[in-house]
Amino acid sequence: MGVSIVPTLKVLKPAARIVLVALVGIAVGYFANAAFFPGTKPEQPIAFSHRIHAGDNEIPCLYCHVQARRSISAGVPSVNKCMGCHAEVAADRPQVALLTNYWENREPISWIKVHDLPDFVHFTHKRHVAAGIECQTCHGPVETMEVVSREAPVKMGLCLDCHRKNEVQYGTDCWTCHK
Amino acid sequence: MNIWDRFVSSWREFRKDGYYDEFDYAWTMTIDLDRCTGCGACVTACQAENNIPIVGEEQLGRGREMQWIRIERYWEGEYPNARLKFIPMLCQQCDAAPCETVCPVTATYHNQDGLNAQVYNRCIGTRSCAVYCPYTVRYFNYNDHRWDAPLEQQLNPDVTVREKGVMEKCTFCVQRIRQAKDQAKDDGRRRVRDGEVQPACVQTCPSEALVFGDRKDASNRVSKSMNDARAYRVLGELNTQPSVIYLKKVDADAD
Amino acid sequence: MANVDRREFLRLVGAGGVGAGAGFMLAESIKHPVEYLIPYPVPPEEFSPGIATWYNSVCGMCPAGCGISVRTREGRAKKIEGNPLHPVNQGKLCALGHAGLQVLYNPDRLTGPMIQNGERGADEFVKTTWEDGLSRTADRLAAARQDGIYFLTQGVRGHLANLFELFMGELSSDRLLHYDFAHPHALYAANKRLFGEHQLPYYDIRNTRYLLSFGADYLTNWLSPVHHSLGFGHSRHGNDGVRGRFVQIEPRMSISGAAADEWIPARPGTEGFLALSVAHRIVADGHYEGDDAGEWRKALSAWSPGRAASLTGVSEATISRLAREFARADPALAIGGGAAANHTNGVDNLVAVSALNYLVGNIGKPGGVVFNPEPVTGASAIDRQANYRTMQKLVEDARDGKIDVLIVNNTNPAFSLPLASGFREAMAAIPTIVSLSSFIDETTLMADVLLPSHTYLEGWADDMPEPGVGFPVGAISQPVVAPLYNSRSTGDIVLDLSGKLGFNEAIPWTSMEDVLKDGWRRIYERGAPEPGDFDSFWRDVLVSGVWGENVRRGDSVTIAPGAIEGMAVSEPRLAGESGDYPFILHPYLSSSMYDGRGANLPWMQELPDPMTSIVYGTWVEMNPVTAKEMGLTDGDLVTVTSGTGSIEAPVVVFPAIMPDVVAMPIGQGHDALGRYARNRGANPIEILAPETDSASGNLATSATRVALAPTGRRATLVKTGGESRQLGRGIVQSTGSRSSRGHSAKLNSIPIVVEVAESAVVESA
Repeated sequence: MGVSIVPTLKVLKPAARIVLVALVGIAVGYFANAAFFPGTKPEQPIAFSHRIHAGDNEIPCLYCHVQARRSISAGVPSVNKCMGCHAEVAADRPQVALLTNYWENREPISWIKVHDLPDFVHFTHKRHVAAGIECQTCHGPVETMEVVSREAPVKMGLCLDCHRKNEVQYGTDCWTCHK
Repeated sequence: MNIWDRFVSSWREFRKDGYYDEFDYAWTMTIDLDRCTGCGACVTACQAENNIPIVGEEQLGRGREMQWIRIERYWEGEYPNARLKFIPMLCQQCDAAPCETVCPVTATYHNQDGLNAQVYNRCIGTRSCAVYCPYTVRYFNYNDHRWDAPLEQQLNPDVTVREKGVMEKCTFCVQRIRQAKDQAKDDGRRRVRDGEVQPACVQTCPSEALVFGDRKDASNRVSKSMNDARAYRVLGELNTQPSVIYLKKVDADAD
Repeated sequence: MANVDRREFLRLVGAGGVGAGAGFMLAESIKHPVEYLIPYPVPPEEFSPGIATWYNSVCGMCPAGCGISVRTREGRAKKIEGNPLHPVNQGKLCALGHAGLQVLYNPDRLTGPMIQNGERGADEFVKTTWEDGLSRTADRLAAARQDGIYFLTQGVRGHLANLFELFMGELSSDRLLHYDFAHPHALYAANKRLFGEHQLPYYDIRNTRYLLSFGADYLTNWLSPVHHSLGFGHSRHGNDGVRGRFVQIEPRMSISGAAADEWIPARPGTEGFLALSVAHRIVADGHYEGDDAGEWRKALSAWSPGRAASLTGVSEATISRLAREFARADPALAIGGGAAANHTNGVDNLVAVSALNYLVGNIGKPGGVVFNPEPVTGASAIDRQANYRTMQKLVEDARDGKIDVLIVNNTNPAFSLPLASGFREAMAAIPTIVSLSSFIDETTLMADVLLPSHTYLEGWADDMPEPGVGFPVGAISQPVVAPLYNSRSTGDIVLDLSGKLGFNEAIPWTSMEDVLKDGWRRIYERGAPEPGDFDSFWRDVLVSGVWGENVRRGDSVTIAPGAIEGMAVSEPRLAGESGDYPFILHPYLSSSMYDGRGANLPWMQELPDPMTSIVYGTWVEMNPVTAKEMGLTDGDLVTVTSGTGSIEAPVVVFPAIMPDVVAMPIGQGHDALGRYARNRGANPIEILAPETDSASGNLATSATRVALAPTGRRATLVKTGGESRQLGRGIVQSTGSRSSRGHSAKLNSIPIVVEVAESAVVESA
């Protein structure tokens, strides 16, 4: 036991402070990103407001998101669905003018997906809508949102909590969602 | 109960009569070796259905094949009495699967349908399960796979595309099983009917060598097929209790 | 922590800043990339996102004409499966059929019309417009002489074939040729000679109890392999306790040979002698009691089993036993193909084989040979099928400058004709070559104008499968996806050209869909239904994917006059002296490549060959004793040389092939056809000698003698299979036939639930 590590440590002491601060910096940077740029509220090509449509005008979710009842994906309404009302309604507003432009060019609108699940999760809207679950349960109070933001943490914990609480048959089997 | 007692009582329960009666469905496949012609339609059907990557000549040369179902061929005898016998080999969905016991993260386990489930997002790629499998039916993704555009347009959206580092294997086309159950629920039915769900291989086999179904229902085709006089299990002596039952080839000139 | 001087402070700030930046970037990098939700401007009526839509159509991967159901999601084709309603395949589909998706989505597809910008064959094609391409073609067609236009197409049936006929008629040219490498010319000729029937009958393998196959690989690619596989499966274990017996006679074990109960090696080209001697025994033993028994006895008198034994290599005892078994089984069926058909005496061989069917009385009966009623579309393309002799004439005409324009449609004679044919060189002499193919294969590479067709999944056509199934069947091949590229349906290209050439009177339609509707209206009217209901009939045919008529042949088919006296099998000729070329080359159609068309499909390249498990290559199979004598093992590269060419391939030791025969799979050896096919393997067709069957003009593919010479080099054989012997592992188990009939047999089965004794778990103290 003739060799001691203490001299080596002493030599490194000045560097220790720098390394420590760097590590703290990494942590700060990481969490700053998560806090200020979480990506949960992206800016959309058209500033569509759910508050006006689903809230004030009380349009039911399934009127626009037609597929939710019969398909795995809820989908977003096609451009002509929007034009169904907006050919006449509020046609002079600047955002509606943007919409009308898309329609005239028959161009699809590239909405940014807010509730994006990884590709290895096979979520089916049909079963959940059929089970009577309200859209707000996972999507949050969408009818109050000016810009759609991801309120609920769309992580596996959310799914499992609900599946356990409601005692979904085989709801905790991995292959139910991760087939 | 202390941890040892808990372990022993779980073990006893697992090994008790009637444990497998707990299965919701008990998916079983029978393969009639007297009908199999070795054509390989099942191999390509599986590849198309399950987004199995195109491995390439170089990787195949290193033994890294990706065929969830493969046709093995065995020669017997010598010219002019040489015979060739084919056997399709796929994950046997063993009820006492060796692979399930070794996974350190429980990425593979036995689910309520009697299927050996492989969860891609949980797998950390130790590859021990492939070593433990006596049938060599587990395949590892050694590479991230790409498809020359526009071949990726063909990929099945109901099946995950696996990336580098995860194990994969036959799932008895679980996406089709889930869809059949989904359909049954829509129709208000409680159970999936016989013949309603057929994995890709079973559906396409031109000589109808493959039969698939739920063995819990004795009136199903597969239940009758698995109790044929010719039924056996490959490497049955290992007692892995596979859910794939083979029907012996008939040697017409022997007794 | 106390003393921090300025330098130290700056270093700390720097470290903190860099750390923060690194942390930020780390969080950024593991973030899920942005994904988009993109709706349609106007939602399509046919499908809903997330829900699959199925379309029924017809497979175009081989001439069998199976019905397919294609699963599509959001307008993309995802999976091709068999159409359960179609009588040919009844919901099943072969491997090549599934790979149709890779034809549709192939990266090497032609995306639009092109013009050759360099020297012919230089692959310097440049894009052009349809207007330009069509005009150029129309101009050349208009300027051509009578009979100066050749239309070389893959075998098509149905109304597209009719359209081609009309088009060529208007062009005043009789030179319409359907060219398929694997077309069963000999079988057509044999049925004509023996029965006077100019069609392929339906061979009812399903209901037979004894199949004697002379070289026909009925499970892989003879006529209608999926249908035959269904029949095979049923005959094995679907006939309530009676198991069908299958006997295969061929020089090299094919997949059908592996499935057979008995595999009998016989010299290529001698199968006819074998069949005649079996027939001789059947008649001599009194199993045949027809009115013409005396004629048969006379015609077959010279064909004792003893004589045949020396010619064929099959023993007298075996021949007699086969005759006995064949005559006693009821029903029994004999078929011929492969080396038996594709030889210099191919027609003779097949006539002898067909005679066996007549002698056991299975013509028109279940489990036998069933002739089909008249095809519903009236015209048949049978007479347009180009055999080797026809192709030789084409080559001569090209050399003599008689061809002004050659139109090629999805056929590849530059690959599937032997080099000795001179086809490639002859193409140089043709002033204008226009190709309607979807890919640049070896033939299309030589074209001047490319007017690419849709693949069969994108275009309109129809099909009446041949051979039929004993009653008329038709199906419409409809688009299952919107066309990917700027190609057009083959029929539409022909209509566009005929429009430019002013053929509007004889060819009044504007689209292929209209051609079909018109043609099917006539089919609809045959059934004399309620007036005005054609539209729902059309819709029903499209939705179900198939149409049929319960009409069978009423008359009984008999032997053509003079056929019995003329029963003779000429000696098979082999090209090359046995001294110089000791082996007979037996090229066979690969189950994945077929005639070469599967080589650009990665799934097919990766499908292991069933017999050898080799992928991505060509090989030459040789008998183990022969290999040992020559000092060759698996992977040794050898040259295979015939009198007309030489290729290289690695050796594979193959236990079930005759000692003086070597076999090679067809399909690789492309120098065009895209990235997956190019520069891989070798093409055995290249070195075949131009020997033909004088009776049918068919190329004798198993009539070429070759010499093998080691090169001293080795090639890597990529195999997916490991050890090819079981070594006592008992993986594939067999049982005798007695035990298979339900008698109590020793089972190697273990019950699902295992009783474990209480004390099995050892408890620690």
